[in-house]
Amino acid sequence: MSTTKSTSLDASLRGSRGFSSDIDRDLLSGIRAWPMWTMLGWNDIRQRYRRSVLGPFWITLSVAVFISLLGVIYSHIFKIELRTYLPFLTLGYVIWGFVAQATGESSLSFQESERIIRQIRLPYSIFAFRVVWRNFIVFLHTIVVFIPIAIFYDVRPGFVGFLALPGLALVYVNQAWVTLALAIVCTRYRDVHQIVNTAIQIMLFTTPIMWPVSALGSAAFIAYVNPLYHLLELVRAPMLGEVPSVASWLVVFGFAVLGWTIAILLLRRATYRLVFWL
Amino acid sequence: MAAVALKNVSVQIPIYDVGGSSLRKVILSKTVGGRFERSGSHLVVDALKDVSFEAHDGDRIALVGNNGSGKSTLLRVLSDVYPATAGTVQVVGEVSPMFDAMLGMSMDATGMENIWICGRLWGLSQTQIKDSLDDISEFTELGDYLNVPVRTYSTGMMLRLAFAIATVRDPEILLLDEVVGVGDLAFFEKAFRRLQGIIRRSQILFLASHIDDILRKVCNKAIWLDHGKLVQYGEFEKVIAAYRKNELLENPAK
Repeated sequence: MSTTKSTSLDASLRGSRGFSSDIDRDLLSGIRAWPMWTMLGWNDIRQRYRRSVLGPFWITLSVAVFISLLGVIYSHIFKIELRTYLPFLTLGYVIWGFVAQATGESSLSFQESERIIRQIRLPYSIFAFRVVWRNFIVFLHTIVVFIPIAIFYDVRPGFVGFLALPGLALVYVNQAWVTLALAIVCTRYRDVHQIVNTAIQIMLFTTPIMWPVSALGSAAFIAYVNPLYHLLELVRAPMLGEVPSVASWLVVFGFAVLGWTIAILLLRRATYRLVFWL
Repeated sequence: MAAVALKNVSVQIPIYDVGGSSLRKVILSKTVGGRFERSGSHLVVDALKDVSFEAHDGDRIALVGNNGSGKSTLLRVLSDVYPATAGTVQVVGEVSPMFDAMLGMSMDATGMENIWICGRLWGLSQTQIKDSLDDISEFTELGDYLNVPVRTYSTGMMLRLAFAIATVRDPEILLLDEVVGVGDLAFFEKAFRRLQGIIRRSQILFLASHIDDILRKVCNKAIWLDHGKLVQYGEFEKVIAAYRKNELLENPAK
C-alpha cells in the first residue's frame, strides 16, 4: 500500500493500489504471507483435537492400527515377508495420506474461509496453503509410525535416506498446486468435489501403496504411467535405502511445472470472480 | 494522507445457483434493491451502477439507503473484496474494514488465543497485539475468563472480546458496516466510546447504518444510494434530509 506525501489527489493516486494490480501478486504475496497460513493451519489442527486427550496422535494411532492389521493380512496375500512389506506399506500409506487429505480438503478451502474472504482482502492462495500446511502437520504426526517399525525390522537407509528430504519438498510443492487449482475449480463448480473424492478412492487402490510393483508382474507399466507412483517413490524409496530413479524425479518435476502453470492461469482467471462464487 | 476516488464504478454480481424457483422468487422480490438482468446463463445483480465520488482526509461519510441499495457492496469495493466490474477505484492509504467484528473467532480457543489469531487477521503485528493486551482485557472486563475457551462465554462477553480486538487498529481509511447496532445498552455506550476512538484515529471513515442518531454523531458527509446508484453525495444534514423526505414520500404509511 502506497502513501504519497503529495497534496494533489491526482499525483497521490498514482501508484495507488487497485484490484487489478493484485492479480499477479496473489501467489507471491500469498507465499510471503506464510506466518498467516501457518498460523491458520496450526489453529485448524488445534481446533480439531482441542478436547481429546491424544490430540492429533489419534491419527497416529489409527494409522498404526490400520497398518498393523493390513500389513499382516496383505503380506500373506502378496507372499512377501513382513519385514519387507510393513515398512513399504507404512511409508506409502502415510505419504498417500498427506496427498489424499490435502487434495480432498481442497474443495472447501475457500468456503471454510468465506467470512474472512468477504471482509478482508488477503491473497486467495493463502487459504489453499493453509489446507496443505495443516495436512502436512498431520503428516508429521503420522510419519512417526515408521520409526518403531524401522527399528524393529532394522531398516537402515543410510545416507540415501536424506534424499527423502528434497523428495518431500517436491511432494509438498506439487501438492500446493493441486490444492490451489482444485480449490478454485471446486468453488465455482460444486460437483467437482464429488469427482475428486471418487478419484482419490480409486487412486488409493490403483497406485502401488498397498501392493508392490512386483505384484503386477509383466504389467508393471501400469504403475510407471501413474504419476502418483513416482511421487510416492521420491520419499518412500530413499527411506527404504534405495535411490529413486531419475525418471521419478523428472516425472514429478514435470508434473509440478505443468500443474503450477495451470494453477497460476486458474488463479488469474479467478481473482476477479472468486468472491462471487462463494 | 488518505484519499479515495471512484470513477463510474459498477459492480455486477453473478448469481449462479438459482435453480430453485422459490429462491428465484425471493431474490426477485421487491424488498431487495438491486436490478436484475441476464448475462449468458446466469443472473446478474447490478449491485452498484456508475458510482463516482471522491473522499479526502477528514471526511466522515455516512452511507444511507434501503436494504440492498448497495451500501455493503460499496464498502466491499473500497476494501478491495469485490472487484469493480467497470470503472476505476483508486485508494491511497491503508483500508481497515470492520463488517463483522466476530471475524476469525474460534469457539474452542481461549480468549487469549483468539486475541492473537483475530489480531493477526485484522492485520496487527505481534508487537501491536502484545501492546494492546492490557487495553483489551480492561475493555472486555473478562479477567481470568480470557484463559478459558470462548465457547463458554455469553453472547455479550464474546461480542465484547471480538469488538475489543477489532478496534485496536490505527486505520487510515476505516469502513464500518452496522457494527454499532449490537449488544445491550450498557455495552453499546461503552462500545460506542471505543468506536469513536478508532474513528478519531482514522483519516477517512465510511459508516453504513440505518440509525440516524449514530450517523449524526460521527459523520459530516453522506452518500445516499438507491438501487446501486448514487443519488446524492454531500453535506450530511442535507443528504439525510433529502433521503428521509424521499422515504416519507414512498412510504406515507410510516
